[in-house]
Amino acid sequence: MNSEFLIVDGVTKRFGGLQALGGDGGLSFTVPRGTFLGLIGPNGAGKSTTFNVISGVTKPDTGAVYLDGQNLSETRTPEIAAHGLGRTFQTPRAFPSLSILENVIVGADSAGERLGAVLSGRWRRDEPKLKEKAAAVLNRVGLGSRMTGSVASLSGGELRMLEVARQLVRDPKILLLDEPTAGVDPSLQGKLSEILARLHEDGTTLIVVEHNLHFLLRIADTVVVLQNGELLAQGSPQAIRSDEKVVAAYLGNDHAA
Amino acid sequence: MNVEAFLVAVLTFGCLFSVLTLSLNLQYARGGMINFGTVAYFAVGAYAYAIVTQEPPSGLDQYLIGLNGPWWLGFLVAGVGAACFAILTGWPTLRLRGEYLALTTFAFAEVLHSFLLNERRIGNGSVGLANVERPGISWADVPDSYVFAVAALLLMLVTIAVYRRILASPYGRAMDAVRDDEMAAEAVGKDVARMRFEVFVISAVPIGFAGALYAMITTLVSPDLFTAEVTFFVWIALVLGGERTMLGAILGTIALVVFQEVVRGIPFETVRSAQIAASVEHMLTGAIFVIILRWQVFERISFARSQAE
Ligand SMILES: Nc1ncnc2c1ncn2[C@@H]1O[C@H](COP(=O)(O)OP(=O)(O)OP(=O)(O)O)[C@@H](O)[C@H]1O
Ligand SMILES: [Mg+2]
Repeated sequence: MNSEFLIVDGVTKRFGGLQALGGDGGLSFTVPRGTFLGLIGPNGAGKSTTFNVISGVTKPDTGAVYLDGQNLSETRTPEIAAHGLGRTFQTPRAFPSLSILENVIVGADSAGERLGAVLSGRWRRDEPKLKEKAAAVLNRVGLGSRMTGSVASLSGGELRMLEVARQLVRDPKILLLDEPTAGVDPSLQGKLSEILARLHEDGTTLIVVEHNLHFLLRIADTVVVLQNGELLAQGSPQAIRSDEKVVAAYLGNDHAA
Repeated sequence: MNVEAFLVAVLTFGCLFSVLTLSLNLQYARGGMINFGTVAYFAVGAYAYAIVTQEPPSGLDQYLIGLNGPWWLGFLVAGVGAACFAILTGWPTLRLRGEYLALTTFAFAEVLHSFLLNERRIGNGSVGLANVERPGISWADVPDSYVFAVAALLLMLVTIAVYRRILASPYGRAMDAVRDDEMAAEAVGKDVARMRFEVFVISAVPIGFAGALYAMITTLVSPDLFTAEVTFFVWIALVLGGERTMLGAILGTIALVVFQEVVRGIPFETVRSAQIAASVEHMLTGAIFVIILRWQVFERISFARSQAE
């Protein structure tokens, strides 16, 4: 029980007439601390909705999510983030009125975001350190030469990496990435998989949604397969590849090992 | 027309109302909040100042409270009172979006207006509080009007300094992030609700101070000085100046004040001609409004400046 860092417990969610998550007993799965979990499933299976429920963007109809023993269903999104949960969105989100570097710095929790510290000017001390850290993260995701540019100058794949960088600068304990390789070129994908392997080594819990199984199944250590909002299978990448139900529902026969 | 008096009036009211426009600029352009009840915080400041400084009621007075306090206490209470009113009105409304927030803040201001009008124990109802005390400050032969002009200028400069300090800090950066994309900002731990609330309350303080200064200048506070027209005035000034910069907010306000003072300065022989002038003023306001919006005059000037900075 102690090692179960994240617990999704009987979660259901309806949108109008559509049962997006959880059929009968609701969706349940657990993620031990330090796991690299791949979350896969056909379009509309409920992967992004699962992320939204975990991060507090969407409140579940029934059931709950626990992170490190705390019930997230009663916690607001910014507080969940403050608890060390980071996430990206399937459609990359950026802050157009901030520079690329600022888009990353703003991911960190600066003392200067408290009004008291603003008026006393106490935040100035920390700012150079934050800048340095953000610049280092931008280098890691291949945007080191674009720091002063504007967000509007970034391509779709670069925006995705920018969003990853904004989360990395927070040093999250658990990081949720929604299709991080979509529209990202092979060389950047290589960088990304290095970054993820490194985070994994350092003990960060990772949940990654991907349709790019070539990318995901090489680096994930457990896989959860969703279909119609329900858990279809859970197991090691090898076991999932050869699972008949998964092959039938999602992988197609070409993938059968 | 007396040029000197004209310039002093423009300086005084230009700076005074710029404080309101700057606060609105912070709330709207940077905080993404539409406050259509600006006049309420201004009125709270003015009434707070009057009540703290006036003498206890006597004779025909219907008001209950007069603390006979010093002017600086009245001034401080004006800022605190406006902040309290912002807390009271912001708490239930700030979760609302766009036009809904506009409507509720407008409604709050109307409620306050009719409260001041009908509840005579606060400020004599529609009669208002006359003979509001002025601070007994005088430098040699300098007339009061000059002192108030300088005070308004100082208040505006301090307001700018504080707002700049906020905007140039990580707090301002987080505000921009929140306005750009709330969901992404919350995903990195920015508490959107908390920040909006803080910005709303903080920016009410200078409006309250401006209300106190206004009460000192007019020596009268009454409900018909604090109608929705004040709110519209400030919004027009903000739109005229372009919402993007502080300089624009100030230019827009001063332009509007100049226009009003010019019209006010024209001497009228008869009531009829004054009536005509009043309607011409409205038409001209509309026409100028259209022209400036169409060509975004001030916005261009101030934006070019900010690009150059
Ligand atoms: N806010 C919403 N309102 C209505 N329906 C929604 C909403 N969000 C998700 N859905 C529906 O819920 C179902 C699950 O959507 P979700 O985005 O979680 O799927 P997904 O597994 O992420 O799919 P994809 O691989 O295409 O990204 C879909 O049928 C979707 O249309
Ligand atoms: Mg999805």
